[in-house]
Amino acid sequence: MQQPIVPPYLLDRIADSGHRFPLAAEAARRSLLHDAPRRELRGVPPLLPPDRAEPRLPAALPDAPSHPDRRISDAEGTEKLPGRLVRREGEHATGDESVDDAYNGLGDTHRLYDRVFGRDSIDGLGMPLEATVHFGEKYDNAFWDGERMVFGDGDGEVFRGFTDSLSVIGHELSHGVTEHTAGLRYRGQPGALNEHVSDAFGALVEQYALGQDAEAATWLIGEGIFTDEVQGRALRSMLEPGTAYDDDVLGRDPQPAHMRDYVETTDDNGGVHLNSGIPNRAFALAARELGGFAWEHVGRIWYDTLTSGRLGRDATFAEFATETVHQAEQRFGPGSREAKAVRSGWQTVGVLPGSGEARHEE
Amino acid sequence: MEIIVQRSGGLAGLRITWRVEVDEQPDADDWVLLVDELPWRDVPPAPPEPDRYVYRIECEPHEALLAERQVIGPWRELVDRVRETAPPHREPPPAPRTR
Repeated sequence: MQQPIVPPYLLDRIADSGHRFPLAAEAARRSLLHDAPRRELRGVPPLLPPDRAEPRLPAALPDAPSHPDRRISDAEGTEKLPGRLVRREGEHATGDESVDDAYNGLGDTHRLYDRVFGRDSIDGLGMPLEATVHFGEKYDNAFWDGERMVFGDGDGEVFRGFTDSLSVIGHELSHGVTEHTAGLRYRGQPGALNEHVSDAFGALVEQYALGQDAEAATWLIGEGIFTDEVQGRALRSMLEPGTAYDDDVLGRDPQPAHMRDYVETTDDNGGVHLNSGIPNRAFALAARELGGFAWEHVGRIWYDTLTSGRLGRDATFAEFATETVHQAEQRFGPGSREAKAVRSGWQTVGVLPGSGEARHEE
Repeated sequence: MEIIVQRSGGLAGLRITWRVEVDEQPDADDWVLLVDELPWRDVPPAPPEPDRYVYRIECEPHEALLAERQVIGPWRELVDRVRETAPPHREPPPAPRTR
């Protein structure tokens, strides 16, 4: 058997460095444990019933590669799709930052879904991940068209481009996953949930790639896509909806953070990018309440919810919330702190009845 | 006669409006012709696509709601022309409902 290169005393110290270097600390803890089940270390009972076990036990940290099949095309400033294929899987970096950022971002996204949730690509069957960059002229947007992710370059005044943010790339790809799983209709409440799911998994992709725990994470979506001219941190804040930007030109981040402020509108397919703030906050609150790596608890619960087959395409906030609590109880046990934290998050944003203070009861 | 193009949605969920007062335009006749030729009553409902724009185009008494994918042909011509003519106005979304 091979001897470890890093001596145990050093692993001990790294393992204790927790908050500053969560990735290294976790990796060190795993090395110390060798192949002992990680749940034991964390004091979490292995409540996963046998029939719900993953098809294979995925690594929980991004230290093992996954096998995406990426294809990046260049629209060369036109609005024609797919554009010219410029980088295929395994090919060297092109030197075009948008192409290479998209390639890397799709790899990070594929790795989260594959290693943590046991899902190979958007359809779970290894379908190619296709993206087009340099779409349109000063095009201020990124979207999922049912087949591919499409990224504009931005106008250079407000937006600097959309491949700069890993959470945005994860957001777009997750629209594909939602389409292939729960199929949430892109209008009104199910539409805002569709948006929320993309934000949640977009944030998890970023946290997973950076090895951030729930406390270290920014919970921002689209950090780094505004130019320096804009007074703002990001497009959205999952933890504090309505605070991501406050700018002379853009105005103030209009996202509501509570059900009492739900916005009724015919714009934006019924305000799907506004009202997603409400479930976003419930998710981030539950993750922070639980601490540790969000993909290991709320991530799994939300993924179970999407793939359970129990969620309707027209699910309301309350129906989705109820299903997440159910899935938390299934995976972690009724009365588990995971189930309590999830319920409490939804209560705090006014989606489930109760004060949201239930988490303090023991 | 006023033409209003409002774009909402997109990944950022920002709303932008462009307004053109046709009577004040040097080529007002061209604008009127363009508006008259638009297939106002012939906009089929389109399935929404995640993060794409939604356009609301108004010119009394007409109004049409179009998915970005539908903004082609004469619609695209109008939208491009409006954007070249008028400055963008960013407007806050509707106020939250009171419960």
